[in-house]
Amino acid sequence: MLRTALRNLLGHRFRLLTTGVAITLGVAFVAGTLVLTDTLDRTLDEMFVGAYAKTDAVVRAEGSFEVTGVEQRPRIDEGLVGRLAQLPGVADVQGEVWGFAQVVDPDGDLVGVPGAGPPLVGTSWADTALNTFTLEEGRGPKGSGEVVLDLGTAKRAGYSVGDRATVIVGGRAVEVTVTGVASFQGSDSPAGASFTMFALETAQELVGEPGKVDSIALSAMPGVSEEALVAEVEAVLPDGVEALTGDAFTKENQDDMAAALAFFNQFLFVFALVALLVGGFIIFNTFTITVAQRTRQHALLRAVGASRRQVLLSVLVEALLVGLGATIAGIAGGIGVAAGLKRLLAAFGIDLPAAGIVVSGRTLAWAAAAGLLVTLVAALAPARRAGSVPPVAALREADSGEAAGPSRLRQVLGLLTLGIGVATLLHGLWGDPAAGLAVVGVGAVIVFLGVAMTARTVARPLAGALGAPLSRLGGMPGRLARQNAMRNPQRTATTASALMIGVALVAFITVFAASTKVSISKVIDRAFTGDLVVAAPGEAAGGGVAPGLTEALRALPEIEHAAGIRAGVAEIDGTVAPFVAVGPEAHELFDIDPRAGSPNDLDATSIAVQADVAEERGLEVGDPVPVRFAHTGEQVLTVALIYGERQPAGDWVLGLPAFEANFPPTQNVDFQVFLDVADDVDVEAAVAAVEALTDEHPGTQVLDHSEYKASQLAFVDQILGLVYALLALALLIALLGIGNTLALSILERTHEIGLLRAVGMTRRQLRRTIRGEAVVIAVLGAALGLVVGLFFGWALVSALGDLGLDTLAVPYLQLTVLVAIAAVAGVVAAALPARRAARMDVLQAIVGE
Amino acid sequence: MALIDAPGHEVRPAAPAWAASTEDARKVYGTGETAVVALDGVTVGFEQGRFTAIMGPSGSGKSTLLHCVAGLDALTSGVARIGDVDLSTLDDRRLTVLRRDRVGFVFQAFNLIPTLTAEENITLPLALAGRRGDPAWLDQVIATVGLADRLRHRPSELSGGQQQRVAVARALANQPEIVFADEPTGNLDSKSGADVLRFLRRAVDDLEQSIVMVTHDPVAASYADRIVFLVDGQVVDEMTEPTADRVLDRMKQLGA
Repeated sequence: MLRTALRNLLGHRFRLLTTGVAITLGVAFVAGTLVLTDTLDRTLDEMFVGAYAKTDAVVRAEGSFEVTGVEQRPRIDEGLVGRLAQLPGVADVQGEVWGFAQVVDPDGDLVGVPGAGPPLVGTSWADTALNTFTLEEGRGPKGSGEVVLDLGTAKRAGYSVGDRATVIVGGRAVEVTVTGVASFQGSDSPAGASFTMFALETAQELVGEPGKVDSIALSAMPGVSEEALVAEVEAVLPDGVEALTGDAFTKENQDDMAAALAFFNQFLFVFALVALLVGGFIIFNTFTITVAQRTRQHALLRAVGASRRQVLLSVLVEALLVGLGATIAGIAGGIGVAAGLKRLLAAFGIDLPAAGIVVSGRTLAWAAAAGLLVTLVAALAPARRAGSVPPVAALREADSGEAAGPSRLRQVLGLLTLGIGVATLLHGLWGDPAAGLAVVGVGAVIVFLGVAMTARTVARPLAGALGAPLSRLGGMPGRLARQNAMRNPQRTATTASALMIGVALVAFITVFAASTKVSISKVIDRAFTGDLVVAAPGEAAGGGVAPGLTEALRALPEIEHAAGIRAGVAEIDGTVAPFVAVGPEAHELFDIDPRAGSPNDLDATSIAVQADVAEERGLEVGDPVPVRFAHTGEQVLTVALIYGERQPAGDWVLGLPAFEANFPPTQNVDFQVFLDVADDVDVEAAVAAVEALTDEHPGTQVLDHSEYKASQLAFVDQILGLVYALLALALLIALLGIGNTLALSILERTHEIGLLRAVGMTRRQLRRTIRGEAVVIAVLGAALGLVVGLFFGWALVSALGDLGLDTLAVPYLQLTVLVAIAAVAGVVAAALPARRAARMDVLQAIVGE
Repeated sequence: MALIDAPGHEVRPAAPAWAASTEDARKVYGTGETAVVALDGVTVGFEQGRFTAIMGPSGSGKSTLLHCVAGLDALTSGVARIGDVDLSTLDDRRLTVLRRDRVGFVFQAFNLIPTLTAEENITLPLALAGRRGDPAWLDQVIATVGLADRLRHRPSELSGGQQQRVAVARALANQPEIVFADEPTGNLDSKSGADVLRFLRRAVDDLEQSIVMVTHDPVAASYADRIVFLVDGQVVDEMTEPTADRVLDRMKQLGA
């Protein structure tokens, strides 16, 4: 039986190739995702190990609360550094300050994008052996106005030792001299991050807090173990300060990084699974078709004594061999995919450090399991069908590729599957949020299977309807194309379903993105009643508008009102929550629908709460709310205002005085300033006046209402672009499937094609016929995909209504373009089979066996 | 140009009056040691408005001759003509158009497109040319083959005999200069076969068509006006106004 399987495979190389490629691509994606994350993991692991090789202990404040997995800690007194240096077990001790700094290149352009891509760090330069950097040139910073840059940033900005440079810290541009450039553990910069390193006091002043440090690194005297050092240190630490070993600190950094990468891994993995699912459809279809075409062969095997089991096994072995070959090719291709993914992500601003290639056992196991399992599962039903061929079928006429519609049982099963899928999906969206995402994913897969099963029932009429214009306008080739697409509904349905998956996901994400944009736009339109916004880089990463700029803008005669916005995180009433802090005139610029209390009452000890949250927690104006800040710890604020509008303010709002009281000076910067132009002033004149002030701050932009909206929506397009690029593979695999189905159908219709050519069909007309069939299948798949995608989009938008996604937007133009692309892609997919058919020898085709 | 074919057998020179003809047609399959000569210098003409049968034992080259004259296969050397067009001068597209517009075909099997109705199959060459055809002629053809009540049926709903009659109608639909039939009754029972042959005969008598038919069946051949006998790729004899008995005798002499 093995020999039969092998011979079958080698006899049909084209089929082997397309089926194999479908699986190979899926496996390569799986392997590539794992290779990339493993490589990243190891690169970063090694980086941390190298960086903290000399660090034997780390002292820092105990965490106040976690924000997305990262502990928020207050700073500690610098005085502790001196006390620790006195300890006998301590060799070197180094206070460290961490903050945000962004380098401006000589042309005035910013280096790096804050909040997207690698971090932009402003920190202290260590004068001791604990320095994780190595000076390549120059010397360390001595006084204020001196910096060392990491080699990568220096190269990108074009700075060398001795140059004057501009650095943005705390919202303002600072002139500095580059006294040195340094490499990090053999690379230009740590994981592509930008490091601007000041002398400790300068760092405290510019990016930290005077007299305070974020952490203290220590090295032990020879013969003192890390544990002994920590024990010695702990004895002198004040309350709220902790010490841990260098190994533990390294491990913690590695784990934090791994957790961040795990999200990434999962994100990519979803697309790999989609590719595999599509590949599975194609294998199922290919084996279904070839088993039908080999009915007589299988019957003959049965007639000469092969058991049902043996025939079944021969098909499964054939599938297994295809799966095996494809898996091996896929793993090899995965290394290339990893490099491609890295480049793709870099193109979308996610630059990842990865050195070398790590192919772990986990990668091999997952890729092999995925490739073999998908192939076997997909081939199971066709194999069973092969086994159930009765011996007498050997004597019947060859199958002409016609097939009746599915049985009633199959139809009911299809609808049932569809129902279960929809129910699972909706349950995932509205049910338990913890398990939500996984349940939604499983539901979506079941929906796809259900639609594919149901599609057999409707494929004939749908293909007929979609092919009608072709038939009417395309002459005889068009008519034949339509008929061919209709003649075997199961084949057409399965082929179209493979494309449906990709199209559905593209349609879904398109609808979701459009809805997000419309919802955000509406919020801005509704809530922001002002005219201009001044935005500065680093709004989400510690940067912001230059101090004093907000007041200067408010003082302009062209400006009626100006309000700076700050953002922070705190544990409010037992829950870690982000909040915004607003300046005194904010209520003149934002309509947040005040219900009780007054925005004017927001002082240093008060807080505003959104009406629904207030109701939920039973809060009224005047009630106390416990708030734990990272720097100032537990505070009690009083509710001064209850407002109705949840967007864009969120659940909690602080007044500027309360923010200033609880955050260090370097964090006390507005990240955006909202402006209302005076009634009698032309907006353009106001912009000119505002720009006159902002021009001295590199990177600070002045946006009008629509520009501001666009800037807030830009991230949607960026994510959309990345998702499109990742889904392109699923579409590509589906197109291979269309090509494969056509090639197999053409083989089946050899006589028919010979006859058509004999009675006068030109090669061109024949190619047009085959392309037409591909277009009908592709458009059918796209149409099914649109329906499913719209449903997914509707479901998600409805489920996320509470989060401010309150509008379902259907971008008809983009969706129409999507269908058009599918149709064109169908033509491309048909190119090779059409060429093969056109080249067929007429006489051979008509008289040959 | 007078050409001598088989020993002692003189053939008239090719003239424009032929619906189709060959001159010194040679067809060799394969090369070197394994080369098989299927046609070994055949010069023959098929008259307009007549029904010619090509007969010969298996392997005599009769089907090859038909395929080459009909433009389905190319000669190794020599000339094959439809009317006065030398087929070797045509590229694939022009050859296809010639088959579509000027030639009709009836094959032994797989004559019809399963997804098209009988009527669509009949008008297939016209549809491929983007023409409607002459309705009066089509009616006449359909009436001749007796299919008026089966036009909306798919091939799978027709009997073998009916399918071949549809094929004959298709071959005649575009008023071709010549119809080639390759064992058109090979797969039929004798009654259905007789029906098909009668329709071919009527197509010549009533519709003034030219037909060339390859057959190994003396009864089928007896419907023709003239029979050309092939042996080992050469024309060895011909017979006019044949009867089944005379054909059978001649075939026996030829060792078939």
